[in-house]
Amino acid sequence: MRIPFDIDNFPLGKGPMVMLVLFLISCLFIYTPAEEKGENLEFWIFANTHYEEYQARIPIFEEMYPEVNVQLINYGGTMHDKLLTALLSDFGAPDVVEVEITSIGRFLKGDIDEVGFVDLRSRLESEGWMDKLVVSRFTPWSYKDRIFGIPHDLHPVVLLYRDDLFKAAGVEMNEIETWDDFIAAGKKATRDLDGDGETDQYAIVLDRRTESDYFNLLLQRGGGFFDANGNVVIDSEIAIDTLEFFTSLFNEHQIATPVYGTWHGDPSNFAAMQDGKILSILAPDWYVGILKSQVPQMSGKWKAIGMPAWEHGSRRTTTRGGTMVGITKQCKNPDLAWELLKFAYFDKAGLINRYETTRIIPPLKAAWDAPIYKEPDQYLGGQPLGQLFIELAPDLPPRYQNPYWSEAADLLNDAIFNAVTEKQTPRQALTQLAEKVRTLIAKDQQRWTEGIKNEDGTK
Amino acid sequence: MKTGRNRFSYWHQQQRIAPYLFIAPFYILFIVFMGYPLISSLVMSFYEMRGFQSRIYVGFANFVDLFRDPIFWKSLWNTTYFALGTLILQLPLALFLAILLNSKVVKGRNILRLAFFVPVLVAGVFIAIIFNLIFDQRAGLINNEFLIFGKEIGWLSEEKFVIPAVILTGVWQWAGFNMIFFLAGLQGIRQELYEAAAVDGANWWQSFIHITLPSLRPVIAFVFVVSMIGSFQLFDLPFILTNGGEPADAGSTIVMYLYKNGFQFMRLGYAATIGWVLFIIIAIISIAQLKLLGIFQEE
Repeated sequence: MRIPFDIDNFPLGKGPMVMLVLFLISCLFIYTPAEEKGENLEFWIFANTHYEEYQARIPIFEEMYPEVNVQLINYGGTMHDKLLTALLSDFGAPDVVEVEITSIGRFLKGDIDEVGFVDLRSRLESEGWMDKLVVSRFTPWSYKDRIFGIPHDLHPVVLLYRDDLFKAAGVEMNEIETWDDFIAAGKKATRDLDGDGETDQYAIVLDRRTESDYFNLLLQRGGGFFDANGNVVIDSEIAIDTLEFFTSLFNEHQIATPVYGTWHGDPSNFAAMQDGKILSILAPDWYVGILKSQVPQMSGKWKAIGMPAWEHGSRRTTTRGGTMVGITKQCKNPDLAWELLKFAYFDKAGLINRYETTRIIPPLKAAWDAPIYKEPDQYLGGQPLGQLFIELAPDLPPRYQNPYWSEAADLLNDAIFNAVTEKQTPRQALTQLAEKVRTLIAKDQQRWTEGIKNEDGTK
Repeated sequence: MKTGRNRFSYWHQQQRIAPYLFIAPFYILFIVFMGYPLISSLVMSFYEMRGFQSRIYVGFANFVDLFRDPIFWKSLWNTTYFALGTLILQLPLALFLAILLNSKVVKGRNILRLAFFVPVLVAGVFIAIIFNLIFDQRAGLINNEFLIFGKEIGWLSEEKFVIPAVILTGVWQWAGFNMIFFLAGLQGIRQELYEAAAVDGANWWQSFIHITLPSLRPVIAFVFVVSMIGSFQLFDLPFILTNGGEPADAGSTIVMYLYKNGFQFMRLGYAATIGWVLFIIIAIISIAQLKLLGIFQEE
């Protein structure tokens, strides 16, 4: 076959010609448009497990709405930064997006009317969804009476423990009811195994570098950093008392490990669990999924109970982590996006599928009667873990959202570390922290009002 | 000889315009992707965001706040500490490795060169995870194998050990990379110089001081300046290794603090201010280094 043109006579020589041809071919690939359909919905995700779930289930939605093409994009950990940039520049944001609970605060800064998400309250109320979901679960996604997302999950927390090793220490964990009971049990189980004078086995691992576990306890008692009206309440008596209790687990009672790993998901944390050096951990539902994938060899060794209560009969759970899905104001067809939201979050078959892969309990109460939640969980030696989570779910504490959460959490980390390492008393640490955050907020408010006055003045 | 008519002819015009057209792509890209963001970030440092659509002019308030911000000073000190550690530990080690692996005495040089170079190819995230295990207080390799102070060190849980842990990780990651520059420099030194020195009775140390080091001066200057800039831009390694700068900001660096302010706290004006202050710091240090190493002197 003859090539229809003369390669040798290409003005710039063979090399550049080959480059030109490759360039043109790749342009074709880049240009090839996605399947042409009537409507496009772009859906951004940051979690791999969610992405896999939607990849499998979105074709069903597209069958229901044949004119719609859903484009799923998983940006992983950098998604929130990309979303922030897109919302700031008023260009390039997706129609639908999932946002993580510790990241949503920054999106609520400034004038409430400028928030980049569509308020879903009227849709939720008019279609009766508020009553069908655990209502406290809307608090992380609400601010100033508006609801910017629907909850993906509940993330109730249980106490996961090594039944065999507590039994070996003479403790029946089933009988634990309060934190005082736990301290007594913990003292028996925290031991120096090899007789070298150093403790090797600790009753519990708690994060002393970040707010996570302290905040777990604080929420369990009904406290928080901010209250429902956005006031700073981290220096309340309940918060101080909880931090005093938290530090006592390290210092006075010495049942929380200061040496093995320091945060959940820390690889050395898993190693110590496997070696039987850490006997319990406060675990939300999703964390059980992580344990299963990270330390599958520990199958059958764990058991779970509700968190020890502060008083007999009081709340035995808290909530840790979370995701919402929302519609951005850049979305051209919010009605269609709303249908996608409901399909992803309120479809019972999908929610059961989600539990199978990730162990995440849905906030939709109607889904809880599915038999799958009652099935024995082999990772927990046959205990039906889903059942325990569902029993605890209605008692989930609210977790009020605030635009200053990121700054507050960053400073709270320092306060907790200073209190645990006894650089400051819990009271000093939290009073000082509350003052800092109040000053920060007041300063912004002052600047903003002054700025507006100046703008008005120049008009 | 050119005539008046010729001067305005197509070819003449093209000759005049062509050079500008050839260099235009660079300037267009530079203005769009560097010039504009630079100027607008400078402007931004005099504003603060008020929500997503509006911003407020604050004058020098961001700069004043920054100089009163204890976390900024802590981050600046941590970053400087890391940079000094790099200067004192990493670069001499890289030079030592380069001399060792340049010597014909050492067997398997190629494999060793590769082995020392490989860590730089590993993503920072993985390095952070591996070193998290290595630095573990009870079960970690370092505390188990080298009880340096006769007791367990909380590398990542005690404030004073956090930056040393990051420095050690940095040494592991970057020493081999810097070694390659020194190695290239060493191979560029003429052998006759050593032979002549040997004839004159110079020992190894004298040759090193009087031939190797002076000949390596441009390479040393390059590696020092690039390492310093890299050190002051340190971000991903401590971000993951210390879980975002914990405990108590002991692992916080300037770029980490910039990132947190810009993206986590949505304080873009403040973040831009940190960026410009960092730029000034890096510029001063780089110029000082180049001066000290005599790069601006005429040979």
